[in-house]
This record gives sequence, C-alpha cells and structure tokens, in this order.
Amino acid sequence: MKFTLPIILVAVTAGLMTLALFGAGHSSGTVGIAAGSAVFSTKASTPEQGLNNLLADVQRRNWDRAYSALSTTSAGDRQSFIQDWTGSDGSLRSFSSLEGFQARPLHATNDDAQMRVRLHWTTPVGPIEDVRDFHLIREGGTWKVAWPKMQISSVPAQIIPVTYLRWDLVSGSGSDEWGSKNVDAPHVRIISMNAVDSAEGAVVMGEVVNEDTIPAFVNVNAALVDGAGKAIDDESSFDKIDHVLLPKQVTPYRIDFPNINLKNVKNVRMDVKATLVPASADPVIGVMNQKVVSDVQGKSILQGDLMNESGQTVNIPHVIASFYDNNGKVIWVSDGYVNRALLPQSGQPFAVEIPKSLAGKVQSFHVVVNQYSLVRS
Amino acid sequence: MSRMATIFALLLASSLSSYGADSPVRVQLDSTKAIPRSVESLTEQVILRDYRFAWTSIAQALEFNTLDPLEGAFTGESKQALSQSVTSQQRTGLSQRYVDQNHKVQAVFYAPEGDVIELHDTAEYQLQILDSGKLIHEEHVVVHYIVLMTPAADRWMVRHLQAVPQF
Amino acid sequence: MHAPASAIAGEEVTISTNGSGKATFYLLGPGVSRKSDVSLGSEVQLKAQDLQNAGEYFAFLCSDTCRSSSFYVTAAKPASLTFLVHPSRVPVGQGDAVSGVALPFDQFRNLVLTPETVNFHLLEGTASVFSRSSQTRDGIAWFRTASQKSAGTLQVDASLGDLSARRAVQQVASDPCNLRIKGERTKAGILVQTEPVRDCAGNPVPDGTIVSFTATDGNGRSTVDAPIKQGVARAQLEAPGATVISVASGVAMGNELRIGAQP
Repeated sequence: MKFTLPIILVAVTAGLMTLALFGAGHSSGTVGIAAGSAVFSTKASTPEQGLNNLLADVQRRNWDRAYSALSTTSAGDRQSFIQDWTGSDGSLRSFSSLEGFQARPLHATNDDAQMRVRLHWTTPVGPIEDVRDFHLIREGGTWKVAWPKMQISSVPAQIIPVTYLRWDLVSGSGSDEWGSKNVDAPHVRIISMNAVDSAEGAVVMGEVVNEDTIPAFVNVNAALVDGAGKAIDDESSFDKIDHVLLPKQVTPYRIDFPNINLKNVKNVRMDVKATLVPASADPVIGVMNQKVVSDVQGKSILQGDLMNESGQTVNIPHVIASFYDNNGKVIWVSDGYVNRALLPQSGQPFAVEIPKSLAGKVQSFHVVVNQYSLVRS
Repeated sequence: MSRMATIFALLLASSLSSYGADSPVRVQLDSTKAIPRSVESLTEQVILRDYRFAWTSIAQALEFNTLDPLEGAFTGESKQALSQSVTSQQRTGLSQRYVDQNHKVQAVFYAPEGDVIELHDTAEYQLQILDSGKLIHEEHVVVHYIVLMTPAADRWMVRHLQAVPQF
Repeated sequence: MHAPASAIAGEEVTISTNGSGKATFYLLGPGVSRKSDVSLGSEVQLKAQDLQNAGEYFAFLCSDTCRSSSFYVTAAKPASLTFLVHPSRVPVGQGDAVSGVALPFDQFRNLVLTPETVNFHLLEGTASVFSRSSQTRDGIAWFRTASQKSAGTLQVDASLGDLSARRAVQQVASDPCNLRIKGERTKAGILVQTEPVRDCAGNPVPDGTIVSFTATDGNGRSTVDAPIKQGVARAQLEAPGATVISVASGVAMGNELRIGAQP
C-alpha cells in the first residue's frame, strides 16, 4: 500500500512526459493555436508541424536543415534567409534570440495554408514581439514553408561628404579653485506634462526642450505624492526619452509607475536633470510617410519609414512618438526599437502602437529617433 | 508630587545643558537687507535650515572629535579648517561644547546669479572647553562670524566661516 | 597671561605669562588645538603655522586654576582672487545679463575683509566694452552689465593689484528670426534647405541648432530634424505627391513651400 502512491506518481509523470514529447506534434488535423518553444517532428503532416519544424531549426540555429526543408517555390537564397533571422550590421536582431512563438492559421486548404505567428524575441532592450505571416505548401505529403524573397538593404560603395559637427567637452586643466570652472549646465525645460492611468499603472508623460545652444544629456524624474505629502514612488524616464538633445530639439518622455493608480496620487513632482555632454550632430534621420493606420491585428499604429540621411550606420534605431489630442495636449507616448540596422542613405520601416482607448483622440503626433551606433560607442 | 515634577524638570534641563551637541540651535535670519538680489522666500527657508544644521554639525564634530558630521554641511575652506580642528583636538585630547547657541543672522550680500550669499552672524553661546572630558574653562561668548554659503544640488553649504571682532 | 589683541595670519605671536611654577598652556582656534607644559613667568611662542586661519583664538593657562585670554587673527594681504562669473552662455542684447563677483583671499585662503579695489574689465576681441573699479565690502566686490549686441566670446577680467582672474562668456544669437526655406525635387525626393539662419539682430544662429522640416502630402507626413551646419540646415524629404513643406526651429516658424507632384 505504501508503494501505491509513488508508483502512480511515476506513471502519471512518465505519461505526461510522453504526451509532451509526441502528443503536440501528432495532433494532426487540429486547426488551433500552436505555442511555446518548437519541437521538431520528423514528418510534417500538418501546416502547424511544418511551421513548427522551421521555427525549431531557427531556434537551434540549424540553418542547413531549416533552409533545405523550405518549399521548392521559395524565392530567397540561403544567405538572405539566414540573415533575415540573425540580423546583420550590429542590428538589434543580431543580439536577439527567438524564445517562443504562437501560431494560428489564417486559412488552410488541402495544399496550402497561411499561418500568422507571434514571434517572441529576447533582446538586450527587453522582450520584443514580432507578428509575421507564413505561407505553407504541401509538397509530397509534407508541409513546407514557402520562403518569400526578402528585401535586404544593401548600400553601394560610395563617398558621402559630411560637414562634421560635434561638441567636445573640455573640463579645464587649470586649478580646481572655486569659480574657475564656470560652464553652466544646459538650460532644458519641461514644456508639457500629463498624468494618466493605463492598464499597467500610472503614466506620466510629456515633452522636454533644450533651450540652450549646446547639447544636453537629459533625464526626467517624477515622484508621485499622496495626500499626506508622502512620496508613493519615484521613477525616471529610462529609455522612453531621447537623452541627447541638440539645441532647440524637443523629445517626448514617458515615466511608468506599474501597479499604481492615480486616484491615490495628490501631486506629481517633476524634476529634469541636464548635464553637459560631448555630442555629434550626425547622423540625421528623417521620418518619412508617417501615418496612423490599423495593422493586420486591428491595432492602431503609427507607421512610417526611417531614412538615414548620413554616411554612418545606425545599428539600433529607437523611435519615440508623442501623440496629441485636438488641444495639442500630449495624451500618449509610444516607443519601439527597429530590428534592422539603418544603413547609410537607406530606409527601414517602423511602427509604434497607440492604445485602443486613445486611438480616436489622436489628432497629431511627433516622432523623434534615438540612435545607438556601435562605432560611436 | 509637584515638587517631584520640578526636580525632574530641573534634572532634565541640567542634563540637556551639559551636552552641547544635543542643545538646541536657535537661528534667526533677516534677509531684507541683502543686495543686489533679494533673497527668495524659499531660498531663505533653505538657508535657515542648512545654516542651523551646519552649527549642529560643528557642535557634534568638536564635542565628539569626529569628522562625520562635517560631511554634507560644509565645503571648501570651512570644511578644511573644521577638519583640521577635529584632527588637532583628537591629538591633544581637547574638546569643545557649544551650549545654548543663539544666532542672529543677517544676509548682507546675495549674488546676482544666486551662487553665493554672505551672512553676518552674531552668535551667542556657552563655550565649554574640556581636556580629556574634564571641564577646564567655561564662558558665555558673543562671536561675530562672516559666513559664505554656496548652493549645492539640494542644499546650501557653508564654504567660509570666519570670526571677526566686529562687523 | 597677556596675549596681543590681534595678529596677522601666518605670523608668529608671543604670549607672556606671570608667576612661577609649572602650568599647562592650551591654544584653541580655527583649525588648531595645542597643549603644552610651560613655566610661568616665561613667554609662550605661537608658531606661524598655528595661526594660519583667520578667526578667534582662545589661550588658557592652567595650574591650580585656569586663566584665559582671546585674540583675533586677521587675513594677510590678498594672494588670490576668486572670481565667479555668470552665465557662461548668454543671448546677445540682454540687460543686466552678465555678472561677476570677486573675493580676495590671502595665501591661507582667509577672506580679506579690509577694503580692496577690484578692477573689472570686459573685452570683445580686443575692444573694451565695459570697465569698472569697485571696492570690496566685507570681502566682496561685484558688477553687473548687459550682454553685447554681437555673438562671440566676451572676455571678463578681474584684477586686484598684480592679481588677476579671467573668465569667458559665450554670447550667442537669440532665437531664429525670419526663417525661410527653398526646395526642389531631386531623384531622391525633395531637397529642402534654409537660407542662412539668423536671429532678429542678424547674428548667425549657432551651428547644431535643430531645424524641423515637415512635408505633408496625400501619403502622410514626413519630418526631418536637421541641425544647422555652416549657417544653413538642409534635409531630404520623401513626398511623391503635391506637397506642402513647413519649417520651425524652437518657437520660430518659417515660410511654407508648395511643391507639385512628382512628374
């Protein structure tokens, strides 16, 4: 009797493990949502298994098997296929790895299927979700992904003349005497502030301008204060701001207070800190074709194209957008990292999300681009 | 019962007055005559707070011969001189108590850009000098101090503290 | 015990004592604490390094009882000039915008409280634009003046005898004024650039100042934040349709440009 319970537990555990290993891969005919890390099946008898196999190989970086298992109708070459998954030019994708996915069919016939996949990436800037559609074809009884021809940015060899402009910070080599180092900190000003409740907590946002004639490194801090004058929490804008502001430049900022409701907040104490910083006026990045549209999932997004107008590669572009209502008040600040590097004189699409509840109120927007370049750092 | 309370109150007062560092520091600040810039009300409050704190720190540092209280309230020459006083007293075994401090402070100069303020402080206190904890001298003194304070990130700091015969 | 009423910082002082027998001598002052055995009736020499800090010093002589005396040490002659000048950058043509405060200190960093004459002198290039002599009061001399009309470095000097201190103030242009742009279609889109950007007094706005170009056509909106380089800002905009281009820098708005659709 005393061995009955352990035997049952071992048997149930073994059964669950077997089910986990083979059950998911063999659920033929299921048209549902596949999720989690991919497990390879020897033969893909369903579109889900075909997609699963590809993503399993991508996760393991088994490029030979992944590429050879693509449909014969695939258009891209092996190099562009690999580059599409691994990134290049020091882009964010090249520092990311595919952690998991969720797939759901859009439509399926006997011989072809369309699957929509949410790809979950781990990246140095936090988890990023990517939505992508895959076309699968049944070839000889096996479902395979038909890989489309990818547009990989390439830049012809060229000379781009740049009028170089930068500011260096000289701390002074003289004595450390009182008053001898009279370089004032840059003058920056918070030009707008708005506090709202969101699904994740309280959000304080707005815009800051550098009113000075020199670049400034800017950080905005906010403290939420209750009715008794006691600080509830204080946070900084962290990466939801363009930290280096050139003269007269404006940046949005957003400060998140997770799990805090504004009904408990009596006052918000704002503090903007600006310090002198060496900076360069390049690269200049244009933000083209900005439009608020609905994406394939029905979400409101601001999309457009970034255009690198300089001769320097921007490895990780970061887009920050402020959205205004019809009174010109900032009602939301969104940001997003672009997976691909922005090569000189070339473009990359971007999109940032607008919360559903605010989409109808957005009258205009302002986009700034923060850039991280390996050469500079 | 009331006699007991009186005795207790006297004992309490006596124990308080024998420890300069615990003794209250009273500071009155008049900034109406400051030139060329008038002192903002909030600045006046902060200076009052920080100058009082500075004297509390001096009393602690020189009574217990420790440098820790000098952090935060002093900078420049005043910090250097007070640190020298403490290390020098540590060597000789001397200490000082500033009991019942009363400071009447007048702001006489406040820089156009607000980066320095000069104060005239007429300070009265009971000065006790101790050698290895033994009281060797005690007297009521009135000292005139010329004080320079400069703003730091979140406070005003005493940069210069110089006693003079008169203003 | 007899101590002098006052002394100069960094100079030796002699204190005479009366009586006979042994006693303990104490000296307490700013930055100094001294204890030594002395013979009553002899003189106590206070070394120069014991009296470097200006302020009040207390001397005690203890045998059976303690006797005390106090004296003041005053600053020596000025040996350095602390000079606070603000701001380090200032828009041109602003009243009372530049100020300086000078404080003379002796070689031991004591504030010199005796009245001293400080000369303030402001130069634009080699041209003198301001000069004033001011006497220190309680150790402080100061001046205040307007920024000049043209952008450039303002050299600010303070001198006291053979001591001097020099600071620099950058006089910078004010906000852009009459911002004007021109543009044309190229193969890559629309090349748009400003005319030389100047403030209302005609000073060139500093290079690096951001100018925002916005192009609006049927396809959406394109923006470029471009820095002024060598006096002008330029940007490449993508807008194939009939386009309206506007420009702004800080609070200053410029003209609008209408460019027809790509042929």
